[in-house]
Amino acid sequence: MTTTLLILHGLVAVALLGAITHQALATCAPFNAKPHTFFGRFRAVTAAGFTNAITVLYLASWLLGAVVYLYFKVDVQPILERDRHWHAMGFFDLKEDFIVIGLGVLPAYWFCWRRPVNCQHHQIRTILTVLLAFIVWWSFLVGHVMNNIRGFGS
Amino acid sequence: MSTSTVHRFGHAFGAAFALFYVIARLRGIALFTVYPAQGIVLLGLHRSRDFADPVLDFLAPEMYWYGWTAFAAVGALVVGLIAALLPDRFSWFWAWCVCIIPPIAMVACVYLTIPWFLL
Repeated sequence: MTTTLLILHGLVAVALLGAITHQALATCAPFNAKPHTFFGRFRAVTAAGFTNAITVLYLASWLLGAVVYLYFKVDVQPILERDRHWHAMGFFDLKEDFIVIGLGVLPAYWFCWRRPVNCQHHQIRTILTVLLAFIVWWSFLVGHVMNNIRGFGS
Repeated sequence: MSTSTVHRFGHAFGAAFALFYVIARLRGIALFTVYPAQGIVLLGLHRSRDFADPVLDFLAPEMYWYGWTAFAAVGALVVGLIAALLPDRFSWFWAWCVCIIPPIAMVACVYLTIPWFLL
């Protein structure tokens, strides 16, 4: 059951990572990127179209992570502490902090992308999108490392 | 409810959520404590080792993260509702708060996590 939830959590996180990266690059990258390059095609998406998907995926990922965290605390954390993986524990603590801060920002992010854009709104929209992208990337990488410390099914 | 009211609420909620979360981490304020091994939830912040023996911390690990999150959500909800009631001319203030406070809160969380890296 825990492994199934963890894999589901990972799959949702992959989808979220792809969506937020597309949106962040489309929002920040220069508009003069050559359209026929990989980067040009990557950023040439309708960024606003990702907003609902990102919001739903973020919530789903947070919920699954919150459930899996219960098993982590009982079954995994004591082993990590026994093996003195203090840095990994620190990075994981940061992951849980960043995820919650991102959760609080989510309504503002969603409202920003639904509002017609002007100069100030574009800045706020860019800041919030980049912030969420950083949180998602950080959480994905830390989660990946935590999952790999002892290997699958160990 | 007008669109700008909803936006004010969203912006204030995001900024206050980050602020209250850091306060909860700093001051140890949790609405409830979860003991996953026993499947118990207690109101407020409890430490296993407070009651009997330090070894209980290993037998009954406690989790505050859910309680911190709930505290931040309740605090942010109150601030968000207050912001929604305030005049529209303050909307720029809330918009910039939501851009500035969460990154600062993340830096504060990095500071609070430093002890892990000194072990």
